[in-house]
Amino acid sequence: MSMPKGFKSENGYATVTGTDGLGYREIAEKMTSDGIKMNHATARNYFIRAMKKIAKPLAGHSERSPDKLAADPGFQGAVATLMKEKKLVL
Amino acid sequence: MRQISHKLLTADEEKELAKLIEKGDRRARDKMICCNLRLALSIANQYRKSGLPMEDISQEANVGLIKAVDRFDWRKGFKFSTYAVWWIKQSIRRYISSQGTHIKFPAGSRHTIYKIEKLRKEYFDDFGVYPDDKEIAEIMGMSKDVVSSIRAGMQWPVNIDQPMKGFEGRTYAEVIPDEDSTMHEEMIDRDTIINLIKTGFSSLTKQEEMVLRLRFGIKESDTDTEKFPSTNQ
Repeated sequence: MSMPKGFKSENGYATVTGTDGLGYREIAEKMTSDGIKMNHATARNYFIRAMKKIAKPLAGHSERSPDKLAADPGFQGAVATLMKEKKLVL
Repeated sequence: MRQISHKLLTADEEKELAKLIEKGDRRARDKMICCNLRLALSIANQYRKSGLPMEDISQEANVGLIKAVDRFDWRKGFKFSTYAVWWIKQSIRRYISSQGTHIKFPAGSRHTIYKIEKLRKEYFDDFGVYPDDKEIAEIMGMSKDVVSSIRAGMQWPVNIDQPMKGFEGRTYAEVIPDEDSTMHEEMIDRDTIINLIKTGFSSLTKQEEMVLRLRFGIKESDTDTEKFPSTNQ
């Protein structure tokens, strides 16, 4: 299967990882070792789903759809910054 | 002027001195300079209305004269004064134009500035409007970027604390907007967006939040761990 056409960021491949961020395979290994079994594709699906959930409430404030917004490296970078600054906590 | 009492040289004397200078005779060089000081001074006098101290203009004229003495070629058959006039004038003009602005330009660029200003005035006289940078570039056969950068340097600096003409009691500093200041509307918008992102973030499951943290390289200790127990799953 060939790579999807267009920007990588629109297909969940090129995402903001930060300086110490992990790849999807590494994330899958870490999660599996913590007792949550997953492979690299599942890790990517979790990540994209999480970004879409965060982007969803913004739909009314942006011209772009939540899916497009979630794939935007700028948006992902902003979420990463907010998490780092402890402004986003569960 | 009264102190300069050297007699003028004849064309033959100039030629003889020039030959000696060529051989490295320093006394001949000094004599040639001294005998032409009056020439330098008379040219310097033409620039006395430039607004700069006459002493400085005379010194620059002398510098030009010395250059002319060192470069004079007697074989060409001209009188020394014919050759020296241009070196003296060039030296004075460079000095005057270098003192005329706070921004220092290379001599070549100053000449281009002069040509641009002349062109703009002529264009205005003909068409009633000033030409833009693109038109100047086309007429002068230069690139638009070069014209734009030279014209940007031609701007006369303005003291922002000086009162504005036609706006009594107001200074430029009071009316120039601060582009770095934060607008209240923008701050409110930003807070609204952060709150919406928080809403979205609160709907994440524990696994999704962990994946995000690992992906962004944010350790659990980086965030407030005490607030994590209330997860969705």
